[in-house]
Amino acid sequence: MSYFFQQLVNGLSDGMIYAGMALALVVVFHGSGVLNIAQGEMATFSAFLAWAASSAHLPWPVVIIGVVVLSFVLGVGVERVFIRPVERASELNSLIVTLAVLLLTEAIIGSIWGFLPRSVPSPFGDGATHVGGVTITYQQIGAAATLAALLVLLYGFFQRTPVGIRMRAATDNAESARLLGVRVGWMLALGWGLAAAMGGVVGILAAPQFGLDDSIFLNVMLYAFAAATLGGLTSMPGAVIGGLLIGVTQTMSSAYVSFIGSDLNVVVPFALILAVLLIRPAGLLGRETAGRV
Amino acid sequence: MNALELRGVSAYYGQVQALRGIDLALAEGEVVSLLGPNGAGKTTTLRAVSRMVRTSGTIEVYGRSISRQRPENVARLGVAHVPAGRGTFSDLTVQENLSLASGMRPRSTSGLVSADLDAVFGYFPILATFRDRRARALSGGQQQMLAIARGLLSRPRILMIDEPTLGLAPQLAREILGQLRTLRDDWNLSILLAEQNAALALHVTDRVYVLESGTVRLVRAAAELTLADVAASSYLGPS
Repeated sequence: MSYFFQQLVNGLSDGMIYAGMALALVVVFHGSGVLNIAQGEMATFSAFLAWAASSAHLPWPVVIIGVVVLSFVLGVGVERVFIRPVERASELNSLIVTLAVLLLTEAIIGSIWGFLPRSVPSPFGDGATHVGGVTITYQQIGAAATLAALLVLLYGFFQRTPVGIRMRAATDNAESARLLGVRVGWMLALGWGLAAAMGGVVGILAAPQFGLDDSIFLNVMLYAFAAATLGGLTSMPGAVIGGLLIGVTQTMSSAYVSFIGSDLNVVVPFALILAVLLIRPAGLLGRETAGRV
Repeated sequence: MNALELRGVSAYYGQVQALRGIDLALAEGEVVSLLGPNGAGKTTTLRAVSRMVRTSGTIEVYGRSISRQRPENVARLGVAHVPAGRGTFSDLTVQENLSLASGMRPRSTSGLVSADLDAVFGYFPILATFRDRRARALSGGQQQMLAIARGLLSRPRILMIDEPTLGLAPQLAREILGQLRTLRDDWNLSILLAEQNAALALHVTDRVYVLESGTVRLVRAAAELTLADVAASSYLGPS
């Protein structure tokens, strides 16, 4: 039984990383209708910044706050500089632009820090606690607590603050929002900033878990896209549930189904998504939308 | 000084010209309606003021040219535009729709928010009952009330309402239009109404512009005008 719970803990802790990135994707997609392929690479950049800062022996709180603020600013900057010029063009254009941002970011990371993987210390230390035969590392506990706090903050921001409500209004009906005086363009940029800041936090949390190199988020982003799709692309709770579900199915399937092992486990989440989307095309918590022709 | 003034305003959707040099004035405290058949340019006139369509000519709000402003800035100058089809935020609750609007008002009126909210709930009690519902769950008439309430709560100086009676039952349409003069007095507004239902509009407005094919066919005090005049001018050519 403790084996089962150990797998569950491991699955959830991977799943939280997917959930965090899926959440960032949803914030951008829901706001501006752009699927930001570069989200993972931007988070990688933030993780490298954090690693560089912590290597310079800056205290962790300073590192985290600094990286979050910087990531936010970079996210807003990316939207203003790269996305805004193609905002009115077709969605394919913005998709290609985010691909360009991905390649650019990767090149920048490579030219500053090289392409060798690095091991990164956890902000929460290396210890672990044992609960009835199940090992839970401080890193896992810390990451879970941080992501949960992030989720609550984000939810409160969108539900309770005037700016959050304006952002939702801009998403919901951009024209009406403009007619009320909401600066819709800036609301979208703010969404990009929030997503990048969130990605930065997830990057800091993921680096100790997966090891840091320029492609750390390559696989993670596949699962994050999958998680966002599973949850319905516009639903934040959906993205989180999707992420956790994918993390758990992945670990469980490789732990209990011998022929899947660690090679085929990449396939399992996608089989799950296929199944869900066949039954609920709008995703778990997504809303049915009719396509405009 | 007029609250709103248009001089020689033309408007274009791409290559299509929707307004052909119209002149229009809305005096402070006046309720003016734009009448005319579908495609006459009523909606486009409102959209021109809100800068949602490309225009030439002069548009002034309280003597200040807004021809080069963005829609959000025109709103911040005190022009509330309640679009046709209501344009509520369907994912937001009634309460969120209203507090969003209250948050956009000029700072000088921020002390009046709760009194204004009470006033709005006084006109439209159903909104208070449903304040925690999402706007999408409201009926057409209730969404129209919400859209007007939202316009009011932004504390505008000029309120532009586009086809508020569209798709509403006649009784409800009369009720909503019947409130306009009260609203003007209570909120110190100048109101510009685009309305296809001339019979209803004539009763509640001070002055009427009849539009056809993007031009002004007739300008007259509503009291001097009968329904037959409107019909004649808009369907049979200039009077």
